[in-house]
Amino acid sequence: MLLSYPQPIELAIAQIESVLVKEEEQAPLPDASLSLRSLALLLLQNDSALWQRLRLSDRASQFIRTIIEETAQQLGESPMAAITRARQQRASMLEQTVLSEPSVTRMTWAERLHQLTVHPLTGFPILLFILYFGIYQFVGQFGAGVLVDAIETTFETYISPVVNHAAAWLFPWKPLQDLVANEYGIITLGIRYAVAIVLPVVSTYFLMFSLLEDSGYLPRLSLMLDRLFKLIGLSGRAVIPMVLGLGCDTMATIVTRTLETKRERVIATFLLSLAIPCAAQWGVILGLLAQKPAALMIWAGFITTIFLVMGFLTAKLLPGHKADFFIEVPPLRLPRLQNILVKTYVRMKWYFWEIIPLFIWASVLIWVGRLTGLFDLIIQGLQPITLWLGLPPAAAPIFLYGFFRRDYGAAGLFDLQQTGALDGAQLLVAAVVLTLFLPCIAQLQVMLKERGFKTTLVMVSFIIPFAFVMGYVMNMFTQVLGVSF
Amino acid sequence: MDCHQCRSHCQTAQSPKSRWWHWRQKKTAPSLVLPDTLSKIALVGMPNVGKSALFNALTGRYVTVSNYPGTTVEVSRGQATIGDRPVLIVDTPGMYSLLPITEEERVARDMLLSTPVSLVIHVVDAKNLGRMLPLTFQLIEAGLPVLLVLNMMDEVRQLQIQIQIDHLQQELGIPVMATAAATHFGIRELKAKIATYVDAPVLSPAY
Repeated sequence: MLLSYPQPIELAIAQIESVLVKEEEQAPLPDASLSLRSLALLLLQNDSALWQRLRLSDRASQFIRTIIEETAQQLGESPMAAITRARQQRASMLEQTVLSEPSVTRMTWAERLHQLTVHPLTGFPILLFILYFGIYQFVGQFGAGVLVDAIETTFETYISPVVNHAAAWLFPWKPLQDLVANEYGIITLGIRYAVAIVLPVVSTYFLMFSLLEDSGYLPRLSLMLDRLFKLIGLSGRAVIPMVLGLGCDTMATIVTRTLETKRERVIATFLLSLAIPCAAQWGVILGLLAQKPAALMIWAGFITTIFLVMGFLTAKLLPGHKADFFIEVPPLRLPRLQNILVKTYVRMKWYFWEIIPLFIWASVLIWVGRLTGLFDLIIQGLQPITLWLGLPPAAAPIFLYGFFRRDYGAAGLFDLQQTGALDGAQLLVAAVVLTLFLPCIAQLQVMLKERGFKTTLVMVSFIIPFAFVMGYVMNMFTQVLGVSF
Repeated sequence: MDCHQCRSHCQTAQSPKSRWWHWRQKKTAPSLVLPDTLSKIALVGMPNVGKSALFNALTGRYVTVSNYPGTTVEVSRGQATIGDRPVLIVDTPGMYSLLPITEEERVARDMLLSTPVSLVIHVVDAKNLGRMLPLTFQLIEAGLPVLLVLNMMDEVRQLQIQIQIDHLQQELGIPVMATAAATHFGIRELKAKIATYVDAPVLSPAY
């Protein structure tokens, strides 16, 4: 036999197997894909999920439990530990016979770089370097600056006038013209936001994120951030979805499945939807604040503080043990250009088709709202909030857009900022609210699916008011200190 | 379809319920039912060993591949042509052992428990063979038809590691193949090997 276990375990396997055979005579076992030996080994290791699936009779369960206890007594340790050790010993023996490494292992560039990335003294400057050049310069200045300007100008000079003219010529009725063209039209507002503002920003961010993902930097970032997480009482494992959340919070919420306890999953989901900006948010916020580095720094500091404080509080509030952290740290690799391009393309396609219908619907709803006068009513209702936040009345519609999707709202802000209607302090306040607010409807759906209705309701009814209150705090902060950018 | 003893997940075609719109369903029905009758081949292994990269190489479809463990959290299926017949390739989230700890490991294990497969391809990072083999043992113990794929052979070569594949094959008693999914090395040979399983009957694992 390939692998035999210590005597007491082999004995227990034989006994459990015979119990299972008897059970099988009465009714076939539900999961017969695995051999009896394998099922016996899993039961011996207290596999609770399997235990439930098999639905053994009480007598058989009782009998197997006694076998497990006796085996543990004979071994002087849990059967699981003994089984795992036997397998590992056999594995390393086999490895030694078939695998030979070169006797002199030289330090490769990858190993050296690895040391640099995980050591806090060098790792932190490397993180800043990546944030500055990869995110700030590439996404903020190039994507949200150069690319957006170019596409936006093209759109405004070549497409919008044509659409406006065509609409005026095709439809004799003014409201119908407004549906597709003019200030709030599907093409001139919805599509323009998607193509000219969101697309260039998000694609540069996705490209950078794919590059980081494939290089193997992200697990190292997780490893480094783990220390920070432990300080505030969070398990380091939760770092994994958090880092992924910098790409897409919705995907990251699904990835919280890799966390061991329900407590960790709840905390991670909460922090993801509150304080981790996703690609779309990063992009547009960088676009808004890139020209004002001081405001960007304050935004980053403020959001980080909220993250740490809320993380600390939730960890305190939800009692439970901290799970140990372990992450596979894959080697640093030179990313393959083809994989990065394909991945960025697939993500862009997915993202684009996800937002386009929503942007179009938003335009239609706004159109209906304006036609019926409901739009003005809501904006009037929202104006106290915008004034409270120290924002001009023109910002009110943006919060309405923001309810549909945060990136739609952010794109609106972007648009407003380019006309010079907002000063630095106001942009900062708006950026804070948009970051803390729920990212999108998809995020809400995933939260409902993964965490259930009650937990989601509690989270959302905290997050939404909290976002506005923090906006207010930021407004007070800038006014009291008289900060202007 | 006769699913030997399993009580769960036996989907049948939805023909009895068809109404006036059944002319539309008939068109789509074959592609919906087809996968169940195809031989299934599962890709399993620890996180970040290249299961998804291999899945892409075999099926020509695209699922996200990263250098980051935990990229795949759900089972994805895709069709591949092996020899000249279609088979269903199933990509699973990473698992360390047949005994699941986290939810996504349970997803992979439950798939193995409830679905009869023609072949389980255990994908391993060849550089860390010793750490990966315990799962191979467990799959063999379970009586599943296992094929071991030593992936990332390009990195093995770079590190000047030598692996005696024949010897490993003898010791384990299962076939062992070498690939580098990212560069498509060894994919053709792997497909040829898989072909020998697709013809074999589904329900007689050799253990």
